[in-house]
Amino acid sequence: MIDIKNPYLPELATVLQVIEETPNIKSFQVVFNDPEKMKGFAFQPGQVGQLSVFGAGESTFVINSPPTRMEYLQFSVMKAGEVTAAIHNLYPGDQVGIRAPLGNWFPYEEMKGRNILFIGGGIGLAPLRTLILFMLDNRSDYKDITIIYGARTPPDLCYKDELKEWEERSDVNLILTVDNEYPGWVKRTGFVPTVLKEVAPSPDDTVAITCGPPIMIKFVLEGLAQLKFKDEDIITTLEKRMKCGIGLCGRCNIGSKYVCKDGPVFSLAQLKEMPDEV
Amino acid sequence: MSTEKVKEAIAKILPDVETVICWQGGFDAVHATPCFITKPDEIDKVIWNPLCAQNLTSYLPSLNKKKVGIVVKGCDSRTIIQYLQEGLIDREKVVIIGIPCTGVVSVKKVLKEIGQEPVLDASFSGSGGITVRTAKGEKALSVADVCPDKCRSCQYPTPLVYDHLVGDPITSDKPKESVYQDVREFEAKTLEERKAYWEKELGRCIRCYACRNACPMCICQDSCIAETREPHWISQKLSLQEKFMFHMIHALHLAGRCVECGECDRVCPMDIPVSKIKKKINAEMKELFNYETGVNPDDRPPMFTFNVDEVKIKEHKI
Amino acid sequence: MPDTGYLPKGKIKDFIKELAKDAIVYAPVLEGEAVVFGPFSEEQELCLERPANTPPKSVIYPQSETLFTFEHKKDPEDHQKMSVELKAGIDAPGTVIFGARPCDAKGFIIYDRVFINTDTPDPYYMKRRENTLIVTLSCAAPFSGCFCVAVGGSPASKEGADAMLTELPDGYLIEPVTEKGRAILNKPMIEDGSSRLKDAQQVQQKAHEAVKNPFAKGRPEISPELFDADPFWEQALSKCVSCGACTYLCPTCYCFNITDEQTFGKGERIRSWDACMFFHFTLEASTHNPRPTKFQRFKNRVGHKFVYYPEKYDGAIACCGCGRCIRYCPVSVDISEIVNDLGGGGQKQQTAGSAKND
Repeated sequence: MIDIKNPYLPELATVLQVIEETPNIKSFQVVFNDPEKMKGFAFQPGQVGQLSVFGAGESTFVINSPPTRMEYLQFSVMKAGEVTAAIHNLYPGDQVGIRAPLGNWFPYEEMKGRNILFIGGGIGLAPLRTLILFMLDNRSDYKDITIIYGARTPPDLCYKDELKEWEERSDVNLILTVDNEYPGWVKRTGFVPTVLKEVAPSPDDTVAITCGPPIMIKFVLEGLAQLKFKDEDIITTLEKRMKCGIGLCGRCNIGSKYVCKDGPVFSLAQLKEMPDEV
Repeated sequence: MSTEKVKEAIAKILPDVETVICWQGGFDAVHATPCFITKPDEIDKVIWNPLCAQNLTSYLPSLNKKKVGIVVKGCDSRTIIQYLQEGLIDREKVVIIGIPCTGVVSVKKVLKEIGQEPVLDASFSGSGGITVRTAKGEKALSVADVCPDKCRSCQYPTPLVYDHLVGDPITSDKPKESVYQDVREFEAKTLEERKAYWEKELGRCIRCYACRNACPMCICQDSCIAETREPHWISQKLSLQEKFMFHMIHALHLAGRCVECGECDRVCPMDIPVSKIKKKINAEMKELFNYETGVNPDDRPPMFTFNVDEVKIKEHKI
Repeated sequence: MPDTGYLPKGKIKDFIKELAKDAIVYAPVLEGEAVVFGPFSEEQELCLERPANTPPKSVIYPQSETLFTFEHKKDPEDHQKMSVELKAGIDAPGTVIFGARPCDAKGFIIYDRVFINTDTPDPYYMKRRENTLIVTLSCAAPFSGCFCVAVGGSPASKEGADAMLTELPDGYLIEPVTEKGRAILNKPMIEDGSSRLKDAQQVQQKAHEAVKNPFAKGRPEISPELFDADPFWEQALSKCVSCGACTYLCPTCYCFNITDEQTFGKGERIRSWDACMFFHFTLEASTHNPRPTKFQRFKNRVGHKFVYYPEKYDGAIACCGCGRCIRYCPVSVDISEIVNDLGGGGQKQQTAGSAKND
């Protein structure tokens, strides 16, 4: 038998830097130990990777840095369970395993020349950030870029430095919100779906991309429908408990589609043809 | 107690409850299956005969927000009493139809008697006989020969708790010593013999957790130590060590709680006599605390109590 | 070499020993009252009279296996520098599965599409599959719960086998199916079977006609309206106790888990069977569970076998009709009855009002 690639064997990598984004979210910048692997690594914005802490396990995260900025790969991790707690215990120099790229990606080719509306909540900004940075690095390919982003409280906002940068750019319209009034917060308040209604962006030639907690996505999708966005123009990226990441173990399926392989990026039109099981 | 009388009892209580849990015919002539009656026209499919082996009480805790009716044999009723001792069900929410029972059949034993042939038909004589028909002909068996081991030492053929009793009460004709006779006989073997026995039997285990999920007293289920990683005591590696660990922990969780309904033995697809482990612990609990599971709703399971000085545990001598 | 072989009944153990000269032979043996596939040895009691309790899937797809080991190492020059060493090895000795039933062999065909016909094939499965010879035994008569003919199978189907045995009064006819299977006709105790082929075909035909078809429409046909009706599942599955017996005994189920186990700086990543019937299967770290009820989980299981897998693989059904899930279910949940009810036909209709919801 010809020796085939072992899809379960991770590539070894080293943690370069750990950034504390919020009280329970950290970003990890990693590089492959093998410099050839790092040089030759290619991926599309929206694809995910399985990050291993040997002994604890593996977990799926979107590759949070864009392919236009390849000094390292970044993963943003919210501490929730055993593996993410182990990841949060990592320091620069620690060894991890990576299996990437997995899954499909944002259909950015079809978005060229159109207006882009990003709607994110909490750590949901992580996959959106990849595409936002990618688009900013190819700015002339896209028309207006609007970002509506909210979190529970100001400390829970991710990528605070970048939010400041985006706010200052004239070619990006950033609308920030937090759920309720908060000492020192002078910008708007309200849940993301409510702010979406207030901002009422036009659906004309616009693609909406959203990611966040399931309850936020539910109301955002309703809001976008009310604003007359077409189902094919609404894109989201899903989360599921994953293990193999390659469509074999049968765990992350919604109907006949595997979130790790046929997703995690789906349009609302596609979701409507799948069983209601998010 | 005929099937007709059981159906009458169900019809009587159905208006007051959301569902009545009973038995109906299963996928072949030698299996019954649980049935959840909600409408009067469904009562016709109810059966009562020695095929009705399943302990239906295991559904009660998860249904406890609703008022339900249930049909129980003597052994099943012990589960209800144990549930009451542990506060797992609300007595007001359960309407119990009790049926005095003269034994059920073990499908495994019937199939062994008839060379594993598929059963085409099974009929019962009122006097403890069962006749099975296969493609190779008919065979007459007696329930007493093909009943599960628990029936051979049954102390409580009449339900100990009920709202309606269908049929006349029966008293047990089995000596009390017979309950743990098999445990005591097994204990007489040497340690090496016992170790070899369990290594052989548990080696077959495929950790399907049928025994765990069919057990009415096992309530950890969705957070079972065998599957969780917080805490991480048992791995997913299939080894004798992990299988022993699961079965020992399961048996210990049932110490002083197992009502010896025998479901674990019945459902094991690998024919492992898992109930032996639990009966051993129960036998010890009886010795140490003079406690018998599922007979008196006012009892407290010994593992729920604490005395600084236990009557039969002489710790100072160790 | 003749086209068919014949193995006299008295020589069957010798034949297995012959095969065992250059392979590990797994055959159905009696343990307690259960028949399991185990590496065959003289002392064991071969049991071919009935289908084994467990399918032989664990021979090619073991219940647990090590994907790779890892070891944390400190750099002897610089103790701050840690490295990890990964070692992957695939154990795939020459193997023979002897005495599987046609339904068991079909299971491997279903796995092949998932584990091999993909752009990320599974090398562990592939190597073992390549190194395994499958010799099936056709069924003389259906067993309780069997319905292979209703899902495109047969008690004498050769699909998935390298060679198939058919039981005759004094021996077994051996029909080779693949070149690999033809090689076993070489063994010294195999006689020419051509004169017995016709008898064997009659036995096979009789068995095929005896298998019950539980589907009123002859094939599983699932009505989308009923499939999506929650009350249908609540009514049909109230009795399910959510264990994993049906999954682990199923020749076509293959879902798995990947977990790390370690002690003191070294450990292994293990792949092990898992069951979509368990609550934790889709439980996310946030505690959100897309399938929190047993009804949703069973619906997904039936959906996977009869709707989703066929959608992906040209209509192939991921159920071989062996009936084990029905026989060994603690409460006798009957998947063939449920699928028949989903087709709307044959049995009592499930009405929308027959279950009361919370």
